[in-house]
Amino acid sequence: MRRAILLLMMAAGLALVVWSGWQNLRQRRSAMQAQQQGRIDLMPGMSSAAAGDPSAGQSQLRGQPAPAFNLLDLNGKTVSLSNFKGRPLLINFWGTYCAPCKIEMPWLEEFSKTYAPDGFQVIGITYDSEVGRDIIAKDVHKLGVTYPILLSTPKAENDYLSGTEALPMSFYIDKTGKVIEVTAGLGSKDELESMVKETIASGGQ
Amino acid sequence: MKATWLNRTRHTFAPIVSLVFILATTSHLGCAQLGMDASAKPRATVLYAAEPQTVPAARRAVLELRFQIVPGFHINSHTPNSQLLIPTTLALQPAEGVKAGELVYPAGVPYSFPFDPADKLDVYAGDFIIRLPIVATAGDHAIDGTLKYQACDNASCYPPKTLPVRIVFTAK
Repeated sequence: MRRAILLLMMAAGLALVVWSGWQNLRQRRSAMQAQQQGRIDLMPGMSSAAAGDPSAGQSQLRGQPAPAFNLLDLNGKTVSLSNFKGRPLLINFWGTYCAPCKIEMPWLEEFSKTYAPDGFQVIGITYDSEVGRDIIAKDVHKLGVTYPILLSTPKAENDYLSGTEALPMSFYIDKTGKVIEVTAGLGSKDELESMVKETIASGGQ
Repeated sequence: MKATWLNRTRHTFAPIVSLVFILATTSHLGCAQLGMDASAKPRATVLYAAEPQTVPAARRAVLELRFQIVPGFHINSHTPNSQLLIPTTLALQPAEGVKAGELVYPAGVPYSFPFDPADKLDVYAGDFIIRLPIVATAGDHAIDGTLKYQACDNASCYPPKTLPVRIVFTAK
């Protein structure tokens, strides 16, 4: 009898170990998922493999009308989205601390000139506008950028970035005012140009 | 007879019981460590590995301040290769009984973003150590400071952040 009880206890003990191991495995899996989610929070909408991938960008605005804005440029003049009505646009959020932004900005400058006959316009919006116009203007000059550079506001960031802090972020807007693509992070020059062409072609003649 | 049977049973099952105990213990420890990891989502890109240190009193000594950068990210070194980039800097507050020297930052490593391999930046990735020469009076000391850094991954950059740092050490 005692032997049976002892064996039963042993069996119960082993069952406990197996159950404990299973629970441990489940916790490890959920913890790994939690960690993965933590990483995603840091790199919203993208992974290292998805750099510059259109599908990696914030998608809430894709297919939606571009949010209106009234922002100051480096000369203190107010510039509105409505100033560019009927034109294909690329709205590019950048920061003075952002190295990949500064890699692509000369490319955007080149596209703004190449595709100007198509009405294409690039608009830069400076995320860290608090650094001041002088520093921003100095950076812009060094980069050879001549397209409009505007100063961001919390409203513009809320409307376009939805809390995302990753830069660069680009919004491709067709001539009907619809956001047709959103990209996060630096992509290749060819990919960018391809999306510029798509933007120009979108929305009919 | 019963005693013999029990002895034999103990002998037979002792390894199993030990195994049960070891498995249960390691399983529990595993959960505890994992619990720490799971709760510590990498919200910050740089972590300070605060380790109490002991140095000789009233003599020149060097404190090692260890930082860890979350995998997949890098930060500009103290001397990035561009004036346009924000360098990593540690600002320390004065502490009573501690005469602090000039911080010694580690050298960075070259880094290029994809699509622009020609542009070499100077960054920290993984772990890095900032050294602080000090002369301190005997006793326990704490120096408060702030690490300012700006992080990027391989395609995007994030706004500059500050990390509060408390350096705790004993001079004796």
